[in-house]
Amino acid sequence: MSANEHDETIDLTLKVWRQRSGGAPGQFETHEMKGVSVHSSFLEMMDVLNATLVRAGKEPVVFDHDCREGICGSCSMVINGQAHGAEPETATCQLHMRKFRSGETVFVEPWRADSFPVIRDLMVDRSAFDRVMSAGGYVSANTGSPPDANATPISREDSDQAMDAAACIGCGACVAACPNSSAMLFVGAKVSHLARLPQGQPERERRVVAMVQAMDSEGFGNCTNHYECSKACPKGIGVDVIAQLNRDYIKATVVRSN
Amino acid sequence: MFTWIGQFLSSSIGKKTTMALTGLLLVGFLIAHLAGNLLLYKDPEAFEAYARKLHDLGPFLYVLELGLLALFVGHIAFAVRTIVENRKARHSKYAVQADRGGKTLASATMPLTGTIVLLFLFWHLIDFRFDGGFKGLFADGASGAGAADVVWNTLGGTAHMAVYLLGIAALTLHLSHAIQSAFQTLGLRHPKWTPLIERGGVALAVLLGLGFASIPFAAAIR
Repeated sequence: MSANEHDETIDLTLKVWRQRSGGAPGQFETHEMKGVSVHSSFLEMMDVLNATLVRAGKEPVVFDHDCREGICGSCSMVINGQAHGAEPETATCQLHMRKFRSGETVFVEPWRADSFPVIRDLMVDRSAFDRVMSAGGYVSANTGSPPDANATPISREDSDQAMDAAACIGCGACVAACPNSSAMLFVGAKVSHLARLPQGQPERERRVVAMVQAMDSEGFGNCTNHYECSKACPKGIGVDVIAQLNRDYIKATVVRSN
Repeated sequence: MFTWIGQFLSSSIGKKTTMALTGLLLVGFLIAHLAGNLLLYKDPEAFEAYARKLHDLGPFLYVLELGLLALFVGHIAFAVRTIVENRKARHSKYAVQADRGGKTLASATMPLTGTIVLLFLFWHLIDFRFDGGFKGLFADGASGAGAADVVWNTLGGTAHMAVYLLGIAALTLHLSHAIQSAFQTLGLRHPKWTPLIERGGVALAVLLGLGFASIPFAAAIR
């Protein structure tokens, strides 16, 4: 029976991935969760589990979390085989327990990609994304003080698309969901965001080449257009950003004379 | 001077771009190949004339064949490389994996369908290029509508029918993902055009599949 207003709590069998360190072997640990409030978020349910574990003198499950309002990109759990769970455009912290059926067995795993090595349990090292960003995901030109409004006209289409790409919170669900562990949606979002705006133009080509080089050297897989990334993205970023990344990279490396 | 080529080809996007370009050129070849084959339905003489024209290209035909070989080798070499790299990118597998509707049967089976097409291609080349009855057909003094008969005679029989249908089915599935995927890889995505490219790619794959598959069927019912 699915949870509804009459069922305030549900019971779950939780299979949580436990791994002491990146090199150590991991395995699932089973926990029977009784009376889970349907109003709690998935992370709050994990907090309850951890409180129980601590009271019993056991090690709590390590997982990343921060803002818990879906904008920081810290939470990273593969729930029943789907990054951030089955709800579309929802980060784990915004996933509520009312979306689960009482009696259900729920598997919780970390992001799995060699570029995101496990630190412990469900926490993975996503510094590969930071290194890709350091390679060029910014504007280094001094843009001066805030200009007058409308001094630089930007089309509605460009500003909308830049804003859509900028919605990326860098959580890594795209890599986790991609059958090839490709980071193209993330890098595409970061490149498209600046490629659409005037401030991004002077460094546009240098940026795309440097970021793709950094992405490749981090060992992410190659995109084969399954589009699972976009379906898993909690911000609903479309694969048009990948096309933009491809286009800009081809242009910068093959077409330009420098 | 040419280091940029090496850099481009060793980048993830460069590899995929090469696969997309070689793949699209191979689709162009398939269209031309089917157009030629469909002359079988016009009359035996038309197919004979087409075969003879190809034959009369002489050494230039070898140049075309080498170009085609280069496309296949390039496409397959980069495919193998990306498959190996993609496997390496995730050593620890998910215990539970549920797709969200992005992946399709065609996209998930690209390495498999590609391999089946390659194996089929060997069989097909042995049939018609290396060992087949076209040999000696255009020797001095030979005449008549022999080329069409060679096709019908070679393709008769259940073993050939099964192999050809399997190969063509794999090709159709491969292309149903490949064509739209190539456009995406080349960065050619557009709110107005992409839905057309996606549907058009599947339609072209099915049309090519039906066109090629009709030939062993026609051979069987003769």
